[in-house]
Amino acid sequence: MRKSLVLLLVAVLSLVGISGLAKTKLIFAVHWSDYQVEGVKDEKENITVKGLRQYVEEYQKSNPDVEIEIQSVPFDDYLKRILISHTSGVIADVYVLYSLWGVQLVDSGILDQVPKDIVDKIKSNFVRAAVDGATIDKAIWGVPVEVDNYALIYNKKLLQEAGFNQPPKTWDELVAMAPKLTKKNPDGTIAQYGFAFLSGWDSAVVHPYLALLHSNGGKMFTDDFTECLLTSKEAVEALEAELKLFKNGATDPAASVWNFPAGKVAMMIMAPWYETSLKLGFKDQYEETVGVAPIPYLKKPATAGYTWFIAVDAASKNKKAAWDFIRWMTLQDAGGFTRMGELMAKNIGAIPPNKTDINYFKGELDDLYTSVFVKELENTYQEPNVAQGQEIKTILMREIIEAWNGRKTAEKALSDAKVQIDKILAEFYK
Amino acid sequence: MACKLFSSKRKSLERNTGAGYLFLAPALLFYSLFFIYPVIFSFIVSTKRWNMLVPLSRARNVGFSEYSYLLKDEMFLGVLTNTLIYALLTVSLTITIALILAVLINGAKLSVLWRFIYFAPVVTPQVAIGTIWGYLYRPNNGLLNSILRLFGMKPVYWLTDPNVALFSIIATAVWAGIGGSMLIITAGLKNIPQDYYDAAKIDGAGPFRQFFYITVPLLSPTLLFLTATGFIGAWQVFDLPFTMGRNAPARSVMTVSWYVYETAFQSLRMGRASAGAFLLFCIIFIFTLLILWIFKRGGIKGYE
Repeated sequence: MRKSLVLLLVAVLSLVGISGLAKTKLIFAVHWSDYQVEGVKDEKENITVKGLRQYVEEYQKSNPDVEIEIQSVPFDDYLKRILISHTSGVIADVYVLYSLWGVQLVDSGILDQVPKDIVDKIKSNFVRAAVDGATIDKAIWGVPVEVDNYALIYNKKLLQEAGFNQPPKTWDELVAMAPKLTKKNPDGTIAQYGFAFLSGWDSAVVHPYLALLHSNGGKMFTDDFTECLLTSKEAVEALEAELKLFKNGATDPAASVWNFPAGKVAMMIMAPWYETSLKLGFKDQYEETVGVAPIPYLKKPATAGYTWFIAVDAASKNKKAAWDFIRWMTLQDAGGFTRMGELMAKNIGAIPPNKTDINYFKGELDDLYTSVFVKELENTYQEPNVAQGQEIKTILMREIIEAWNGRKTAEKALSDAKVQIDKILAEFYK
Repeated sequence: MACKLFSSKRKSLERNTGAGYLFLAPALLFYSLFFIYPVIFSFIVSTKRWNMLVPLSRARNVGFSEYSYLLKDEMFLGVLTNTLIYALLTVSLTITIALILAVLINGAKLSVLWRFIYFAPVVTPQVAIGTIWGYLYRPNNGLLNSILRLFGMKPVYWLTDPNVALFSIIATAVWAGIGGSMLIITAGLKNIPQDYYDAAKIDGAGPFRQFFYITVPLLSPTLLFLTATGFIGAWQVFDLPFTMGRNAPARSVMTVSWYVYETAFQSLRMGRASAGAFLLFCIIFIFTLLILWIFKRGGIKGYE
């Protein structure tokens, strides 16, 4: 009996000892695709551009007590993954999050408070639009890793054929040019679009509208989020500005920006992430065909933006290890740049929000396409971080599409949107 | 003595009843776990304001307010109408076309080949069907508009015109559903004795009379099955409208399941989504009872 007890004690102590020596495990959830995680490889499977995994391996080498598991989930399923993981209790420690989801996550106590040293560095080293994106209720909830905005993409050849040597600078110029860039089939349908709006999901429809809204001096909400301002003169005019292109025949609801590489669209509003598709579409014709310019303005230059930031789950058992990894990845100097900045600029093709990275990766960011988006960061208005942001954006998208289809006037569509959005705001801000 | 015998028989019966329940246990457990529990859970969630990020116990109780919200919500009522139109047209057209084709193919040469051709879409995933038909429906270079242009007709904006988009999706659903229904009807046709047709021929009945007075009445249990299961499936439709209708105004194409999905996983309103799902459950339940009642009044008692 005594022998058995001694054996049991030894076994228990061994287990405790082993667990004490066990590595700290971090689960890192991202929405990135395969090559963004695993790195870009050549035909012989050699890494030509590093992906997230190579950085993680580098960190694990210098921190052998930490093990990081990358969980990559497609964007469409990413929020569901966060929700389900919290319901099931199997959470990730570190997330890369879309700023619009932030309010709900913060209100539900999901995100850990950012250590003060990190907050100070974000405030001093990051571009304004990205800091705004990671700020909820005046507090910063994560380190911005990616900032996206919008610009006008145009087909230089089609513009030249129509006698235009320059892209439009103002929205009125765009409205006047677009019909001259439009070609119609004998049956009256459009064969070549003077302008095509991005559509198919909420951000696609709403972000360009927000760019015009800010350009017209308007905004979507009061500062305290108690009221939606979509019935303001500026907001209605901004949607009417879009509708002018439908009325003058330069576009219609069937227009698709994905036909731009086929030479069927002369102008569109797009985000930085479309660069690779354009290069693949135009191949050696890319540089002589694709032109990028700031979004033609109504009253002042403006564009809309959104941010992704990296944050730690408040329920993580390894918060300190998680923040240490984030410091190393996003803030620590790796030779004049940060590792996250390198991943963004070289692999993911997004604009890194850290000013040091923007200066260091000029070669990658100063090309024909991305340089305009970088310059436009100063005119970028971050999508507002409001409670139920996704729901509000979907409501606005539906109403804008109703107006595009001629089923509602701009005023009616926006006033219907306001009624629904004000109800939501009343739930959370009054 | 008789009393003793009766008592021992009863005991044995009781023992057998216990064994019976034991045999039923796995099925009951499965049914409780995957049907009764989710329904009860969904009902409880429908009375809460819950975003799945906090424990359900911390969610605010809102009673039946989500139900009353949905029943007054213009969007939900529109979505319900879309789903009703989708269900009525898809089921009626699919069964009618499948019935005609099954009768034609039944006596035709190479009937197996024909059946295979019509059945092929059934084994194709709905998302793939939606994508392929999306190409056919393209406004400029899609096959359908190319055909229309060939005949000098104006092209149609199949998936973006709010007056057309839902019907384009219904057409695709009918195409995709014909094969399955046809196969079941064909099995039903095989069970109709040839003698009836021979006797009808002797009496001078033509093919149309034979169809309406022999085929249709004797196929009624099969048609009841197809109608009931067809409506249950059609009310829950998600894949095709979701993949094909995203560029049309949502009010013109959105279905209840799509609305529930979006409310749950984009708006993070699990209570409202569950209330929507529960209302859908009630509608399907009532609709199915109604179909069974209509068929019963017509003399068909297949599912009592």
